[in-house]
Amino acid sequence: MTVSYVIAAGHAQVGDLVATARILSERVIGLVVGPETVARQVAQAGLDQVLWLGQPGQSALEAFAPAVAEIVRAQPGHVLAGRRSADRVLLGAAAAAIDALLVVGPTELAAEGDLTLVTAPVNGGLALSTVAFSGPLACLLDGGPVPDGPAGPIQSASGPLAEIGLVSLQPAASQTVDVAAAPRVVGIGGGLKSAQDLGLVEALAQSLNAALGCSRPVAEGLGWLPKERYIGLSGAHIAPQLYVAVGISGQLQHMAGCRQSETIVAINIDPEAPIMAQADYVLPGDLYQIVPALTRALA
Amino acid sequence: MTIAVAYKWAPEAQEASVDAAGRVDFSRAKDKISDYDAVAIQVGRRLADATGQALVGVTVSGPQAGQPVATKAALARGLDSVLVLAEEGLDRIGPSATASLLAGLVRQLDDVSLVLAGDSSTDVGARMTATLLAGRLGWACLTDVEQLDWSGSDWSITRTQTWGVETFKVTGPAVLALSPTAAAVKAPGMKDILAAGKKPVRPVALTDLGLERPDQGETRATARLTGPSRQGVVIDVSDPDAAAAVLVAALRQSGLLVEGSQE
Repeated sequence: MTVSYVIAAGHAQVGDLVATARILSERVIGLVVGPETVARQVAQAGLDQVLWLGQPGQSALEAFAPAVAEIVRAQPGHVLAGRRSADRVLLGAAAAAIDALLVVGPTELAAEGDLTLVTAPVNGGLALSTVAFSGPLACLLDGGPVPDGPAGPIQSASGPLAEIGLVSLQPAASQTVDVAAAPRVVGIGGGLKSAQDLGLVEALAQSLNAALGCSRPVAEGLGWLPKERYIGLSGAHIAPQLYVAVGISGQLQHMAGCRQSETIVAINIDPEAPIMAQADYVLPGDLYQIVPALTRALA
Repeated sequence: MTIAVAYKWAPEAQEASVDAAGRVDFSRAKDKISDYDAVAIQVGRRLADATGQALVGVTVSGPQAGQPVATKAALARGLDSVLVLAEEGLDRIGPSATASLLAGLVRQLDDVSLVLAGDSSTDVGARMTATLLAGRLGWACLTDVEQLDWSGSDWSITRTQTWGVETFKVTGPAVLALSPTAAAVKAPGMKDILAAGKKPVRPVALTDLGLERPDQGETRATARLTGPSRQGVVIDVSDPDAAAAVLVAALRQSGLLVEGSQE
């Protein structure tokens, strides 16, 4: 493919997308939806061209999906986007328009004649697979910050929009925690007996200056924490300097989301729990005794 | 009018195993309607009842998805009927291929007003099937939908993003991926299970859709996905305070403890 597209919907986190696109194609075009300030930031990422499709106003960023699809259909190429909601919708529209193969989190890309060899995690991070594909790829990966660089030109573009009307926006009362970006994370799992006990691990997270995450049942079954805190196969994939897993058994689907952590501490009453064999520091005991002790030690 | 629900008869990833060559084995994992898709069906049932529409399930997978145990499990959750594309090898296709085949199934239905989907699948976890399906159909798409209602003239859709709570209205057909928090899923009762056996199941073949098996490329290699090597230091916890002191000293020595707050 001679061209790759980098999608940015309402943000300029495209540094790693551009770097990956450069491996795939000589020419990289940014497709930006959102405020013009975002387009200007993206234009500093070293792209050959930035097409600014406009801001949604009384609509949704996702309304631009048909416009993005139309641009990509006119000149097919690889398409790359981050993991946010609107990015995924625009990527899906572009990928469907050109029969692109979805790849999540590619780790290696190489050309082999007319083929692209792509190595990427499969099944949400259970294993790696290398696939040879002759057509365009749709790559979903972490966006990464924009490096400081000279601002390139911005060109306005337009296209058909989906009818999605914004009725209201109630701003968030507090800043949402991004566990995937946090350098230290405390994760809580089924070992916690009650939602009332969350204070124990919140105090530990505070002492460690860490974000609080959780296993899937805590967010999606019990609803004790927001779903964006869930770490695992279909949740957040984290790679912090330090991950303290509290009362988490370490099933395969959870480890798929935290395996890349630099240092893992496991606190679990079951010494045979799978996570105990995958941690740097293993504390085989009762979290209700160890977590308060650890919080005190950090004070 | 019809509301369609895209669901998957899929194995639970926590029961998978990965061999030394990186081959993922789901043979010991029990297939089920995933918790994510159960949310979509339950929300779909409520909306279908409120708007007088039919609720039809569409699914693509291997032959096991066409077995009565699978179709009854979906129907017992509240679907009126199911359209099933269940052929050898289709249980191992990725989101791109799944979405293109689901679009073929949706096109078999008359007057579809909405396609609902779960937030993710339990075995692939890409969170992209709904967006790819919307792209195939050329319909509006929103994900992370927490609340969904019919106002009489349009769909009212609420979701939470990092910047706040957004409410949208959509008039035309749309594909919506539902947050796991959109409904508290109820297990089917005996009455639901018995009724499921009498509901229509329509098997569909790839040839019926005029579609070919999508190109997914050629797999050249697989490998185990490993993280950093682990130290495996076991700390004696017979005295919790002493254990905590040992751990804190080790973390401090490694430069992992710093000042500042993230929360």
